[in-house]
Amino acid sequence: MDAVTVERAGINQKPSSRVSEEPVSLEAPVEAGKTVGTITVEDPIFSCRDVDVYYGEKHAIKKVGIDIGKNSVLAMIGPSGCGKSTFLRCLNRMNDTIPNARVVGSILLDGKDIHDKKQDVVQLRARVGMVFQKPNPFPKSIYENVAYGPRIHGLAGDRVELDEIVHNSLQRAGLWEEVKDRLQHPGTSLSGGQQQRLCIARTIAVNPEVILMDEPCSALDPIATARIEDLMEELRQSYAIVIVTHSMQQAARVSQRTAYFHLGDLIEVGETDRIFTNPRHRLTEDYITGRFG
Amino acid sequence: MALSLEGHTTRAFDGDLSSLHIQAVAMGALVIEQVQLAVNAYSNWDRSTATLVLERERKINLYDAEIEEAALQLIARRQPMAQDLRAVFAIDKVVTELERAADEAKKLALAVLAESDASGFRPGAATAREARALGRVAAVMIRAALEAFDRLEPGAAASVVQQDKEMDAEYANALRRLLTHAMEDPRRLQATVEAAFIMRSLERIGDHARNIARHVGFIGGLDPTATGVLPTSLSIKN
Repeated sequence: MDAVTVERAGINQKPSSRVSEEPVSLEAPVEAGKTVGTITVEDPIFSCRDVDVYYGEKHAIKKVGIDIGKNSVLAMIGPSGCGKSTFLRCLNRMNDTIPNARVVGSILLDGKDIHDKKQDVVQLRARVGMVFQKPNPFPKSIYENVAYGPRIHGLAGDRVELDEIVHNSLQRAGLWEEVKDRLQHPGTSLSGGQQQRLCIARTIAVNPEVILMDEPCSALDPIATARIEDLMEELRQSYAIVIVTHSMQQAARVSQRTAYFHLGDLIEVGETDRIFTNPRHRLTEDYITGRFG
Repeated sequence: MALSLEGHTTRAFDGDLSSLHIQAVAMGALVIEQVQLAVNAYSNWDRSTATLVLERERKINLYDAEIEEAALQLIARRQPMAQDLRAVFAIDKVVTELERAADEAKKLALAVLAESDASGFRPGAATAREARALGRVAAVMIRAALEAFDRLEPGAAASVVQQDKEMDAEYANALRRLLTHAMEDPRRLQATVEAAFIMRSLERIGDHARNIARHVGFIGGLDPTATGVLPTSLSIKN
């Protein structure tokens, strides 16, 4: 039996009922599901409502509701253990792999429940790709790292088409010029920053709609980080991107919307322009100004 | 509700930000005195006080340069966010307003010290009285704005707007009297224009005080239009 039990709840709940637009006291207590700011967006790719995640008895995510917009970057910030990575992993059902994990609520991808029995998880993870904290290329050649996904998903009819996908993906990930003469070298022979871009190329090779990034630059130097951030700006023209980061400056640089998590609650969501200059909730303010704890 | 610039996990950040704030308040105290001295120098036509104003002006410029450098350093080293970012931004702007207010005060001192035909421009009793009245309102406004800035109370700053209306009325009265005077005796035209510039300088000091109040509101995250503390450039006068 699947380790993850899914209960559907709140699918028909109106988004507006969960949005608090009135001025909020900065001292307002945290109440599960009472996020400050606008959780909805026009034409969302993901629409999540009342998402709870439990690891055994531990209630890791509490009634989180948020939309994820197309062609934009959503940054999720918060202290360690606040649930931001857990929530990210809900979006392509990575939590399925964790024993005792239980996800409750509604997560709609393009209007369809990702926990539907008919949903093929492998297909879901092709549509919702993920880039991890540490670059994790397969122990294969650069070419094979990118070609692997399209091959198992049957995206290329022949070798010429596969070559084209590999070329385009590496090009879009900004890596082609650096590796075009050594495609048969091992992926692990590249530098950290290049390996991370290889992982991004591998992710986009299967035509995803959403790219999830879990602290993608925390193991990289500032120059490699800048290249990834630059790449994110280009990639958002075609994909929705959700990034979990511990760097407030990075969240401010790359995202259009920012979500602040605290002890499993989604405290505040808003335009990045506003969150970093004038957040509405005291907890958000304290965290981003370095007054937390 | 008063805001706090302290409470950071990194205590050195508290120190840097507080020191910036304290420096700006100290500069403000100097500017209040400067305005009072300049008004006294002008209304009493006192050259020694005017000289003192010019000497102190250098100290104000030094404060301006030092606070700007400290603000730049703080942004580079601490990358402040949210209220802290607004505070650093606002402190820098408050300092600019103070420096400009001091410049206006300097104009009064320079009028007294001008070598050419100095006695001809000496204000008569009525003009001196008006300069004192305008100067008093300007000093009160700067003091109120600075107190709000010192205590970081955005709400308190809103009262400065009311005082600015009083200032505008006093300024209009002074100008009306000066114009009447000039029409009665055209030979006094040059002296009248000079006196009008002095009144204008005092009125500008009030505007700088109002802008300081606006910056305090900005630190508190207030919408300037909501508090009525509008920036000068958005005020529409017909």
